Amino acid sequence: MTTHNMLIAPDFSPERFAGWHMFNTLIQKRANLNMHLNIPASHAEQETLIEAGVIQIIYANPFDAAALIREQGYRAVARPIGKSDEMVIAAAANSDINHLEDIHKGATVAMADNRDVKLIGLRLLEAVDIEESDLNWDITETYQAAARKVIKGDAQAAFFLAEIFHSFSRLTKAQLSVLIESDLADISHVLLIKDDFPDAQIFIEAILDLHSDDDGKEALTELGMPEGFEAMSEEDAEFMIDLMQTLLD
Amino acid sequence: MGSPIPDAHKPDLPAEQITLTYHDGTSRTVYDTGVERPYPDGKLIVSRTDLDGIITHVNDAFVEISGYHVDELIGQQHYILRHPDMPKAAYQDLWDTAKAGKKWHGYVKNLCKDGSHYWVYATVVPNVRRGETVGYTSVRRKPSRSKIEAAMAQYAQMKQDEEG
Repeated sequence: MTTHNMLIAPDFSPERFAGWHMFNTLIQKRANLNMHLNIPASHAEQETLIEAGVIQIIYANPFDAAALIREQGYRAVARPIGKSDEMVIAAAANSDINHLEDIHKGATVAMADNRDVKLIGLRLLEAVDIEESDLNWDITETYQAAARKVIKGDAQAAFFLAEIFHSFSRLTKAQLSVLIESDLADISHVLLIKDDFPDAQIFIEAILDLHSDDDGKEALTELGMPEGFEAMSEEDAEFMIDLMQTLLD
Repeated sequence: MGSPIPDAHKPDLPAEQITLTYHDGTSRTVYDTGVERPYPDGKLIVSRTDLDGIITHVNDAFVEISGYHVDELIGQQHYILRHPDMPKAAYQDLWDTAKAGKKWHGYVKNLCKDGSHYWVYATVVPNVRRGETVGYTSVRRKPSRSKIEAAMAQYAQMKQDEEG
């Protein structure tokens, strides 16, 4: 049996790691295929794997999905239900930054290396006349490290992937105050398959049926997408890509 | 040709009554109360139209701020939102740019059903499918106060020039 390669975009919360392995085990069994899970540690590593041409399935973040669909021969087949990609801008709870307007030119923003979070955050900061070049950027290894920087006062604000921010401990969250959380709603990660993927139909059916039994539900809950996946048409994907094009500048 | 969009209802608040004439020659009576609605924080306001500017999709944020019911928007000309303070040249530029297959950005003052208004920073992109433009997507973000004030001054001047 051929082994397929699935790649998971690296921007997920560490606690989802086990969920992806449960997902892989179930899909292999139900679609009767061999699938190797590739979990790159960084965006650069993701690009290297995709460029090598060995990846048939990608759980891609929405901004990568645009190029993968329009330029690299992938098509979107499913997306998680009710799980849009959002971001949070937060400051230290004990600081004098209580609103977006309190972020001034020359401020330092801490964040993990995630260009989507940065892009959406910058779009939100436009409303207070702050541009990328107005800020100092402190790129941390993890979002937890970004949280520590802002709590210690080494940065005035931090950008987070909303899902990761909400997974922080109560103690960490108590030391942070949310200045804004995006509510873009229409933008989510998408499941892509290579156009020539031979087992497409059986794979898609296994994905869409995952939520219909206890094992599947358990894996989906671990992944933070308890409602499962919904089918995505070519037009659904194109609509999302058009929408994202508007956010690039 | 009569107006395809019914005249606006006279709001309870004091309002200026204006007759707008659109590029297709139709006219409509609207009211401007001068009340500004705040842009919803963190959200995008999204709509799509067909090639003729007929609305085919609106998101929840669009419906909520516009004050219309979704059924009053789908199938209607996008100019249902046109505020009388907006110069015609701004829309001309928007449509010329989008029809040329390019992305358009600009600050827009939109009119709500009740005569209030809201400011947006709008981006319009053509929806290209297999090499053919099939419609347009417009996505709005929250503009800064300073940009709104600059746009107000610019549009007032453009309106004055248009009205000669």
